[in-house]
Amino acid sequence: MNSLFYGQGCNVNRRHFLSKLGWTSFWTAVVGMVAGLARSMYPNVLYEPSRKYKVGYPADFARDVVTPLPGEKLFIYNDSKQGFYAISGICTHLGCVVSKTQEGFFCPCHGSRFDHSGKVKAGPAPRPLPWYRVSLALDGQLVVDAGEEVKPGTTLPI
Amino acid sequence: MQEFWRNARALPGNVWRSTIRHGPLDTDLDRAEVMNQNFFLHILPVSVHRNTLRFSYSLGLGAIAFILFLILIGTGIILMFYYVPAVDQAYPRMKDLEFVVSNGKLLRNLHRWAAHGMVAVVFLHMCRVFYTGSFRPPREFNWVVGVVLFFLTLGLSFTGYLLPWDQLAFWAITVGTNIVAYLPGVGKQLRFLLLGGNEVGQEALIRFYVLHIAILPVLALIVLGVHFWRIRKDGGLSRPEEAESPLVSMTATPASRDPAGGSLQIFPADPRKTYGLMELVKGRTPMVDRGPEDTLTAWPHLVFRLFTLSLLTLVIFLIVSLFFDAPLKELANPNFPENPAKAPWYFLGLQELVSYSAFMGGVFIPTLTVVALMLIPYIDRGPAGTGVWFHSRRARKIALLSAILTTAVIWLLLFANMRTGGVRRFYPDSPQWLIDLLNPGTLTVLYLVVFFFIAGYLTDSLREASIGLFTGFLIGFTLFTVIGVFLRGPNWEFYWFWQSWPAP
Repeated sequence: MNSLFYGQGCNVNRRHFLSKLGWTSFWTAVVGMVAGLARSMYPNVLYEPSRKYKVGYPADFARDVVTPLPGEKLFIYNDSKQGFYAISGICTHLGCVVSKTQEGFFCPCHGSRFDHSGKVKAGPAPRPLPWYRVSLALDGQLVVDAGEEVKPGTTLPI
Repeated sequence: MQEFWRNARALPGNVWRSTIRHGPLDTDLDRAEVMNQNFFLHILPVSVHRNTLRFSYSLGLGAIAFILFLILIGTGIILMFYYVPAVDQAYPRMKDLEFVVSNGKLLRNLHRWAAHGMVAVVFLHMCRVFYTGSFRPPREFNWVVGVVLFFLTLGLSFTGYLLPWDQLAFWAITVGTNIVAYLPGVGKQLRFLLLGGNEVGQEALIRFYVLHIAILPVLALIVLGVHFWRIRKDGGLSRPEEAESPLVSMTATPASRDPAGGSLQIFPADPRKTYGLMELVKGRTPMVDRGPEDTLTAWPHLVFRLFTLSLLTLVIFLIVSLFFDAPLKELANPNFPENPAKAPWYFLGLQELVSYSAFMGGVFIPTLTVVALMLIPYIDRGPAGTGVWFHSRRARKIALLSAILTTAVIWLLLFANMRTGGVRRFYPDSPQWLIDLLNPGTLTVLYLVVFFFIAGYLTDSLREASIGLFTGFLIGFTLFTVIGVFLRGPNWEFYWFWQSWPAP
């Protein structure tokens, strides 16, 4: 024992050691408790609607027309050459909802502008509007998964 | 039983004496005693320096801010009886307050305008403390505490105007939490934690409600307590050295002012430590029985001034609340933001900056501002100019020059940005960092830093350079706020005062 606490070059005696041990365990316990409390602030279950939307039958969408879906904050394209694709209606700047204009999209909050493919033309938006995965459900309806981004240009040919 | 009857007869007098605990306040001893014995008054000193009572020195701004805080607690508690933090109930409850609850409208108006008033007054208080050099040692720590209080005030305002769940509330939470998401590293998680999910809804409302009524007010009260306690410990309000004792500056030679000099000290000044009447304090304090000309008893001089100031503040805000209604937009609509979607005036300077670059305006510049504000007392430490409005004639000139230059620079950058259409017009595939760098907001900050160093080297006075920098910050912040409030219309486009907005 003595050699451990009173060894060469070691000035820690038993009292110091026990004091350090005590404080270390105290602060460890405090940090653990605070972390536990903080963890309970982080929800495990979300009562949010699914971000996978069934948006209708392909035939419901007129050819070469953009269909805005305000509730889902999506724009559905039915391109006669490329097929279906969906562009997000949420501005990548600070989350306002963009509106459709002649040149593309426009955000009223801070004036970001995007072209038809969602690419940033002007304003503070840091990223283009994301494209989402479009697929067909078994009942033949189009499904847009707003949780899955795809590369711009990815379409669902019909 | 005779004792019973005797005590019963003496009961009214004894109750009175045990409650009031002092007689008529005829002598200074009585006046000291009342400050000492009363729990609510003992936060104040027994005697105060004449300079502290000069309204033109302090402008009473700190006191007014505290009074507004008390008004906010009072009105806020009553509002809590009617408010329900649920997305389907919050807005109807606002309408109830407006049309059904007795004096409900007045209550809400008073709460809202006092909140706006508090933001303004706290900011002006900070300016007062800066321009009088009152952050100098030993008051550095209290300045930092004050900066914390300023941001707590902003936090309370922000969480407060989210609660009505109107259009302003919904889109302010959306924009505000998306700004948080730009924080490098932890931003996304922090946004998730604030919202209690990925979307703005019920969870977000209740979180901001708890922040507004429990966490932030309690924090503010604690920090406020520290702020007041530090004022006492730092020896009261700052004041110029000459005011320490006019007799000293008139009669004493430098040698006699040296405590260790051993020469005759008729009116010794500024010992490093001295007994105040109540406690051991650091720094220079009014010395009881040494410089009676300089101090006055807090009762009645300070107490009555504070009382009058409280009444005036309350009356002014009551009158405003009677004639002007607190804004309430339409019910929150998650599908369409308003156009323009504007925050309350005190955040529109930031919103203007954010409209150039979310990272710069929302994260970098605010962080830089907080750090710079907190560093002021640790950088600008010299004794000269403490306790006087502005430091010198030259400092005033530099402040004026900085105000003019900053105004010019901001207008120039703003119009350059609008005329040319910004970086993307020339360089459509520009990387984001270039847009973050080359915009009126970032360039203004860059200009201010350059101004500070040039002014510092030219004047060879840190105090004057920092007055120039602070003035530039003040003018820049005000100007961006004015632009955000008055000159931005639909689609965040620029409209002059006299230009009308196009019909939607």
